[in-house]
Amino acid sequence: MEQSAAYLGLIPLLPLAGATIIGLLHLSSCQTCKLSERTYGILACIAPILTFLFAIKVFLDLHGLPVEARQISYQAFTWFKVGELDIAMGFFADPLSSLMLLFVTFTASLIHIYSIGYMAGDQTFGKFFAYLNLFLGMMLILVLGNGPVVMFVGWEGVGLCSYLLISYYSEDRANVLAGNKAFIVNRIGDLGFVLGMAFLFWAIGGSGFDYISLKANAHLLSSTTISLVCLLLFLGATGKSAQIPLYVWLPDAMAGPTPVSALIHAATMVTAGVYMVARFSFLYSLVPTVGLIVAWTGILTALVSAIYGMYQDDIKKVLAYSTVSQLGYMFAGVGLAAYSAGIFHVFTHAFFKALLFLGAGSVIYALHHEQNIWKMGGLRTKLPITYWTMLIGALALAGCPPFSGFFSKDEILYLALATGNPGIWLIGVLVAGMTAYYTFRMIFLVFHGSPRDQGLFDHAHEAPTVMTVPLIILAVGALFAGVLNLPAIFGGGQVVSHWLAPSLAELHPEASHETEILAIGASVVAFFIGITIAYRKFGSGAEVPVFTGFASFAYHTFRINELYDLLLVRPYKAIGSAIEYFFEPQVTDGPVQLTTWFYRAAGTVFKLLQVGYVRIYAIYMVIGLSLMSLLLSQSLK
Amino acid sequence: MILDYLVLSIVLFCLGILGVISRRNVFTVFMSIELMLNAANLAFIALSRLHESMDGQVLAMLVMAVAAAEAALALAVVILLHKHTGKLDTNVFSLLKG
Amino acid sequence: MIAQWLFYGFATLAVLGALGLILFQHPMNGAMCFIVTLISLAGLYALLSASLLFALQLIVYAGAIMSLILFIIMFLNIQATDLPEEKGRWTFLFGGILVIAPIGLFLLKVVKTLPQGETSIIGQDFGGVKKVGMVLFQDWLLPFEIVSILLLVALVGAVVLAGKKEMAS
Repeated sequence: MEQSAAYLGLIPLLPLAGATIIGLLHLSSCQTCKLSERTYGILACIAPILTFLFAIKVFLDLHGLPVEARQISYQAFTWFKVGELDIAMGFFADPLSSLMLLFVTFTASLIHIYSIGYMAGDQTFGKFFAYLNLFLGMMLILVLGNGPVVMFVGWEGVGLCSYLLISYYSEDRANVLAGNKAFIVNRIGDLGFVLGMAFLFWAIGGSGFDYISLKANAHLLSSTTISLVCLLLFLGATGKSAQIPLYVWLPDAMAGPTPVSALIHAATMVTAGVYMVARFSFLYSLVPTVGLIVAWTGILTALVSAIYGMYQDDIKKVLAYSTVSQLGYMFAGVGLAAYSAGIFHVFTHAFFKALLFLGAGSVIYALHHEQNIWKMGGLRTKLPITYWTMLIGALALAGCPPFSGFFSKDEILYLALATGNPGIWLIGVLVAGMTAYYTFRMIFLVFHGSPRDQGLFDHAHEAPTVMTVPLIILAVGALFAGVLNLPAIFGGGQVVSHWLAPSLAELHPEASHETEILAIGASVVAFFIGITIAYRKFGSGAEVPVFTGFASFAYHTFRINELYDLLLVRPYKAIGSAIEYFFEPQVTDGPVQLTTWFYRAAGTVFKLLQVGYVRIYAIYMVIGLSLMSLLLSQSLK
Repeated sequence: MILDYLVLSIVLFCLGILGVISRRNVFTVFMSIELMLNAANLAFIALSRLHESMDGQVLAMLVMAVAAAEAALALAVVILLHKHTGKLDTNVFSLLKG
Repeated sequence: MIAQWLFYGFATLAVLGALGLILFQHPMNGAMCFIVTLISLAGLYALLSASLLFALQLIVYAGAIMSLILFIIMFLNIQATDLPEEKGRWTFLFGGILVIAPIGLFLLKVVKTLPQGETSIIGQDFGGVKKVGMVLFQDWLLPFEIVSILLLVALVGAVVLAGKKEMAS
């Protein structure tokens, strides 16, 4: 029933090979023999486009199989084998990973093309594309890995690329610190992932540690073990997907180049956590309590970051918090065992969020790296393509029917209501309204009204074709992606849900049509309220606000960073200094120093024996011989 | 009887060691080494007689050849030493001092 | 019986010669004593039926090597002032005896474990040129050839070392 296909192994290999080639070319190039940006750009785009074609092939191959047998896999080689632990470097595609594969490679291709324009004139053009290709390779390993261990390779790999790309402009210390923060916060999550994997292996790993065997053996686990494993894995997901309490790194990650923010910190990598929970749906669906924790964490993250988003003044920070907020929705979805709804939101989110980030990149590019929205305004006429595409993206994000974001978000909210969690639903609706508000606050401030900085405005110009074409393609995606999963109430066939069904252990709650209509109605109303407030306040220009009270608190993101600094970072640093100044010199270095002192003393003593006369050395030898003779005489009778 | 030969060989060998470690004259040291080689030869030949096999005698011959080679080299070194320092003292060389 | 007396005679001479070697201040005296030792050893070889080795000991050792040593000693024309002052010689000698005693005693212990054997002269050409030659060129051919190479190397080395000064100047 399982099909094998060697080309699966080729999919991650292509971008990795691309990264190696570009990286080596970049390293070996000098000032005079530097390759043109064009060459690098074309080289870099080959791998993503080829992988996209392969992704289509995977999709078609799966489509050709009967519904229950939609799995293809390929075992490249045995990676390591220790005791019962037998890990193969294997790849595995089922409907879930094929969907991920499709949109990851699609957005990656577009963002690679866009980057050729955005990064033009950058000194280390080759390095950037080497990292991007490396990221794509790692992401594909994550998506296609046939077991938790292979997934973990990709998981760490994308973390590494994220770190490298956040700190890309490493001349600025703040960027390096942001990269460090992302890396360190992710480590905390990864610890959870590793522990979860270890527990899982300890419990049932002996009889195969890939998804298929795990799924088959999941019934052997006690519910306590499952809960523990699921919670630990979810800790990993909160790190990678920026959920409470580990979301703090994502806003700082905006220090990287904008295409990176679009690809890694919006469309693909940060959704890895959602993908992972969906991947382990056969475990999560067995413990609804843990699912509820996941859902509540998600929806609270969505609420908190939506509040932050309403007060930010950096265009990329607004988008970053909206990403965190949308990720919260996704976790609410997968937490409520509505895996296909969560994954569908991942899918549509990839389109409109990549679109918004690329649009923001285009604005930033036009304004010579100005990111403060209070210095923009009236850009509608100067950047028409960017304006219209971003407007589509914003409508999709805000959940305006019939844009893609509406359907996916609404599905999650409806399922929250259907599974009997009105609390989650209420917060979700509230967040939907807030999303509409802050999204259109940004749109109005940037594109409407009158210019706030005339100098910047005068020099603004539309981005080159290589950047606008990806915008247009993504805008089309953001418009129509939602149609793919049109719910039955609108006469749709829920194509995506049906496609994903074989991969997921999903519950299908029954609910009345009234509930569905209530959910949809509430979302639409929230959207309109949000957009109206935004229009009232910012529709025709607004002054730079002075935040006081709660607004100031929210502007400073509830001072969470300071709190973490106070509660975690400083004690940790204090412990570190204590070790450095007391423990290390006094306790651990003591024996070491003693040893060196002993050897020095012994050396001084033995130096006296080294008189330099060969005759004396002969005497030493004879003394040794004599002592040996004494010893041997003892044993000889 | 054979044992007496071996005891003699041991006595000569120990005297050779004594010469090497207690004297500073290069010639004496050198000849003491030769004495040790001869003591070994005597042991070889005595044991060859004991086992009535001629391998020991062959070995003694090889030792003699090696001793001849050693003599040639050692005397060349002694001549050089005398040329450079005008002395025959092994303590002139103390480059190995730590 | 006479062989035994001969053994004791030769043994005494050999030990005395060795003592002379390590006790005489001047190397010339030492060399003379050493020749006595070597000749006594040759006699002992004869008593052990090693007729070829007896001849070789006399010709090669007592003859060639020792005359070479004597020649060099005389060539260097050593005066009493050239000799090192060996002030602590007696200390070293007695200390050396103390150190060496365990080695000698251990070797004695080892030797005592061997079986006692006859030393009467064996006939049938034992130790003669032909028999020893057969063993040497059949069983010991490779070591023999290696030793020949060693001699060649030593020859070249001696020429290079001793002739260095002249070549440099």
